Amino acid sequence: MNPEFIDRYSRLDSPVHKLPVGSKIVAALVLVLGVALWPAVPWQLFGAVGALLLALMLLSQIPPRFLLRRLLIAEPFALSIAALALFQPGGWHIFLVMLTKSTLCLAAMILLTATTPFTDLLAALRRARIPVVFVTTLALLYRYLFVLADESSRMRRARLSRSFAEHRAHQWRALATVAGQLFIRASGRAERIFAAMSARGWEQK
Amino acid sequence: MTNAIEVKNLRYRYPDGSEALRGVSFSVGAGERVALIGPNGAGKSTLLLHLNGLLPERAMENSAVQIAGDAVTPANFSKVRKNVGFLFQDPEDQLFCPTVFEDVAFGPRQFGLHGAELAAKVGAALAQVGLTGYENRPPHHLSRGEKRRVCLAGVLVCSPAVLALDEPTTDLDPRGRRELKALLRELPAAQIIATHDLELVVEHCSRAILFDRGAIIADGPPATLLADEPLMLAHGLERPHILSHHHPHSKT
Repeated sequence: MNPEFIDRYSRLDSPVHKLPVGSKIVAALVLVLGVALWPAVPWQLFGAVGALLLALMLLSQIPPRFLLRRLLIAEPFALSIAALALFQPGGWHIFLVMLTKSTLCLAAMILLTATTPFTDLLAALRRARIPVVFVTTLALLYRYLFVLADESSRMRRARLSRSFAEHRAHQWRALATVAGQLFIRASGRAERIFAAMSARGWEQK
Repeated sequence: MTNAIEVKNLRYRYPDGSEALRGVSFSVGAGERVALIGPNGAGKSTLLLHLNGLLPERAMENSAVQIAGDAVTPANFSKVRKNVGFLFQDPEDQLFCPTVFEDVAFGPRQFGLHGAELAAKVGAALAQVGLTGYENRPPHHLSRGEKRRVCLAGVLVCSPAVLALDEPTTDLDPRGRRELKALLRELPAAQIIATHDLELVVEHCSRAILFDRGAIIADGPPATLLADEPLMLAHGLERPHILSHHHPHSKT
């Protein structure tokens, strides 16, 4: 994985990047709550929100393909939840509404995270008195994503260097082994990190 | 003066029941530099983890270990952990914050420092390890040697009386090793170093403890202990080359 994946475009110098972090978070949150909780289904409102997000995207100077790819990664989750609505009367309508709503919310969040360095987001959350445990967990997640990605690519390389005939079934089995190994290694690492945190005075509160 | 480390008849079993430490006793004076040598699996890391109460898993009310006169018991944990700076084997485990600043600030923050005072402390610690200006760098972009030095800054910022170092040099390139050694030489804290780097032992330490199967085999000055080839070979080590040649500039 490209270690720049998360913060690749978050330090550009566009008007959207320059907005204060706190107000960006609040705006994104208000937008998400508004879209999700609006009782009726005003398509004009959805259209307006969509247009606003699109304008911000263009203003942010981030390549649209980058943002679109992120949206596509998250979309299957929204799609599978929305698909459940198809099994009830009037399902198609509910399905469309759910899909539109979740796509708008996702787009807002993607725009927020793509235009703000992750460390600034964490600092803003901390200032907003979000519980320490939550912010710490997020910070650890961000820190170790890269280590985990490196580890998995090293394991992949080690596996490839010893695989000579790649059958599909074989690949799947190897993938399962790698996933299991990664889980074991990650939990071992979690224990060592906890030891390192305790060694520097961390106490469970 | 009280000893920096005092260990009396320390015993420990792994959760699977096998014996890891079989009645270990030794003491380390203030400012002394002691190497802990021995084969893989001898129990060196296990011993180090007892120095600030990370082992045993279930902390006990009375402890076989004392740091600067304080027994390593839950009541003393925060004092002892401030007093013992622990450098873990893998810097990736130790650097768990998103930026260098946050990581070095982690310890002092736990002990109640913040604002300008905290920033000054962190700045001083980074200057001490030669990494001024690295505050906003994310750890994953640093070299191995730089990571190691950030770890050290994060430990030194609490001004510990004891440094416990687990294999500090083995994964560094010669330059990184040289820089780390120069840094360690300047530090007044007592040091206990678990290592396979026998040159480090000879050059840097005033005393070596040979450890195998959870017990102390020998304890003495590195130049004599490590020169005993049969003893070294019997415990998975070797006589380092540095002792075979005459060095006109060496102190020993």
